[in-house]
Amino acid sequence: MKFVTNWRASRTAIIIVVLVITVLLPLIVRNSYWHHLFIMGFINSLLGMTFSVIFCCAGMVNLGTGAFFGIGAYASTMLVMIGGWPFWFALPTSIGITGIIATAFGLISIRNPGVPFVLLTMIFAEIISQIAGQIQFFGGWGGFIMVPRPNPIGGIEFNTKVPYYYLILCLFLLVVVVFKALYASRIGRVWKAVSLSPRLAETLGINVYRYRVLAFVIASSAAGLAGSFYAHYTQTIAPQTFGGFFSILVQLYPILGGIDFYVFGPILGAAIMTFIPEYLRITKEIEPIITGLLLLTIVIFFPRGIIGSLSNFPHVRLARISDRVKEITNWLSGMGPR
Amino acid sequence: MTLELFFQLLLNGLIVGMLYVLIVLGLDIIIRVCNIYNFAHGYIYALGAYLFWFSYVSLGLHPLFALLLSLSLMALFGIITYLGVFNALQSRFTPDVPFSHRLLLSAMLSVGLMMVVGRGILVTFGTEDRGAHSIFPQMINILNVRLPVEKLIIVMASFVSMAGLFFFISKTKIGRALRAISSDREMSSLLGVNTTWISLVGYTLAVVLAGFAGALVVPVYAVSAEMGKTMFFISMVVMMIGGIGSYKGTILGGIIVGQMMSFGFQFIGGLSYLAIWILFMIVIIFKPGGLLGEVRD
Repeated sequence: MKFVTNWRASRTAIIIVVLVITVLLPLIVRNSYWHHLFIMGFINSLLGMTFSVIFCCAGMVNLGTGAFFGIGAYASTMLVMIGGWPFWFALPTSIGITGIIATAFGLISIRNPGVPFVLLTMIFAEIISQIAGQIQFFGGWGGFIMVPRPNPIGGIEFNTKVPYYYLILCLFLLVVVVFKALYASRIGRVWKAVSLSPRLAETLGINVYRYRVLAFVIASSAAGLAGSFYAHYTQTIAPQTFGGFFSILVQLYPILGGIDFYVFGPILGAAIMTFIPEYLRITKEIEPIITGLLLLTIVIFFPRGIIGSLSNFPHVRLARISDRVKEITNWLSGMGPR
Repeated sequence: MTLELFFQLLLNGLIVGMLYVLIVLGLDIIIRVCNIYNFAHGYIYALGAYLFWFSYVSLGLHPLFALLLSLSLMALFGIITYLGVFNALQSRFTPDVPFSHRLLLSAMLSVGLMMVVGRGILVTFGTEDRGAHSIFPQMINILNVRLPVEKLIIVMASFVSMAGLFFFISKTKIGRALRAISSDREMSSLLGVNTTWISLVGYTLAVVLAGFAGALVVPVYAVSAEMGKTMFFISMVVMMIGGIGSYKGTILGGIIVGQMMSFGFQFIGGLSYLAIWILFMIVIIFKPGGLLGEVRD
């Protein structure tokens, strides 16, 4: 009971414990394959966070995360490989390029934030991947291989996975801090109003359109950051990676974890979606089937995500599940038109 | 370009367009009746194609019986997925649930279903392309233009099934209930329409339509595991170009995109996908509700 009543204090404790664990993780687990999974988990949770920020702050569903991830990856790769820039300049520049493209796209597409926006973003991801594949200047369908590693900085060489892990951890924390600061500021309160009721916010004199574009641009730039890191981490990029399907998978992470919790939700969801398929590699071929069934189960029984469901009392959840079962059996017994 | 090539391309485009129309009509029904944005519909179409291929080629049945078998299997699949998956969501969609939550939850569920169906097809039927002998290999000569009979029959079959669908929706009692639910779910429930049953009918109808489209494609094109993914994007694009909830718009959009696919692949190859996506962007930017539809939500 004390755990629930002292929610705020225990939340701080949880955050500190999680932070300490993540910082010490590569020292505890000394296996480079596991390090790879941790890094991919952080990239995925960063992308999931951009999705949930757009959802929480602007009330829009963005299926084009892959497009901005891809733009970031391509911009950074081409600046380094063709322009000969060092990674540390290419990273912020690629964030800027992604931000500019996101602004242009957002200004056009956010005029209709419902279904048109969803499908526009999804098709935009496909367009980006088609353009990168069809035009030889962008590497064609083969993409780029041998993307250089980040240059050594302060005596740290990027030879093993551990420096990459700390780099992505720093970038992730940076993005979290930026989002948290924005969310605590006046802009964040406007975002809260917009997501609760856009119409009411509009009557209060808020330019809803402008704040939606702002949320979209900031989140998409973060996706560009993740893309730039991804390109230099895996050292290969191919246009197929960034298509529309990738963006559809990205939305799973925050929803699995809990869409209302935009830092821990994506982390938990990405951890689940990164590690469970790896464990299921034993069953190789039917791995997506099991993942899909797991997804169905979670969405049907825990519609608010894992964290959202845990923050209710467990017996309430159980009662609801048994209600659902009763409902289905009742309905089945009286099936047919009345 | 000879006249014959032109007419053959036109016919190909019409076939492809009609397939899109059949699939998108199903998608439209699911969205309007069940409020579900079904991302798995492309893979359901692929499942229909594989089931027809299985019963026609592997079991060696007569095409009509094969069609019957595959469609009844599809209906069974539709009933199972609706009761097992989407019905749980349906009861949660009260009127005060905002549109974005509805979209998100249905998208999640259908993505899960998509993973299961897509990989299930791959595991059961293998990765290589499957083809079948054409059922009517003759050519017909109309005004010195040689056209394959089979493709004409496919176009006719899709027109007939569309006419049947429109008759069903506009004249029968269940069709009226479908329309009532799509305009106001709560009100029609108050007036004594069993919403769960009617939603089940609508969903199953859509799945059977997708299965029919899949069966039509088997004798003409190769069946591959990739077709579900391609169809998913194309069907969304056709739906939006025409406008959600406008049957005329859906037919118009399907024919436009089908002709673009047919002529595009002849002349610009793989770039035609890019052309279609860009056409979609232009249409949606200037007419967000589609050519003949209205903006919803």
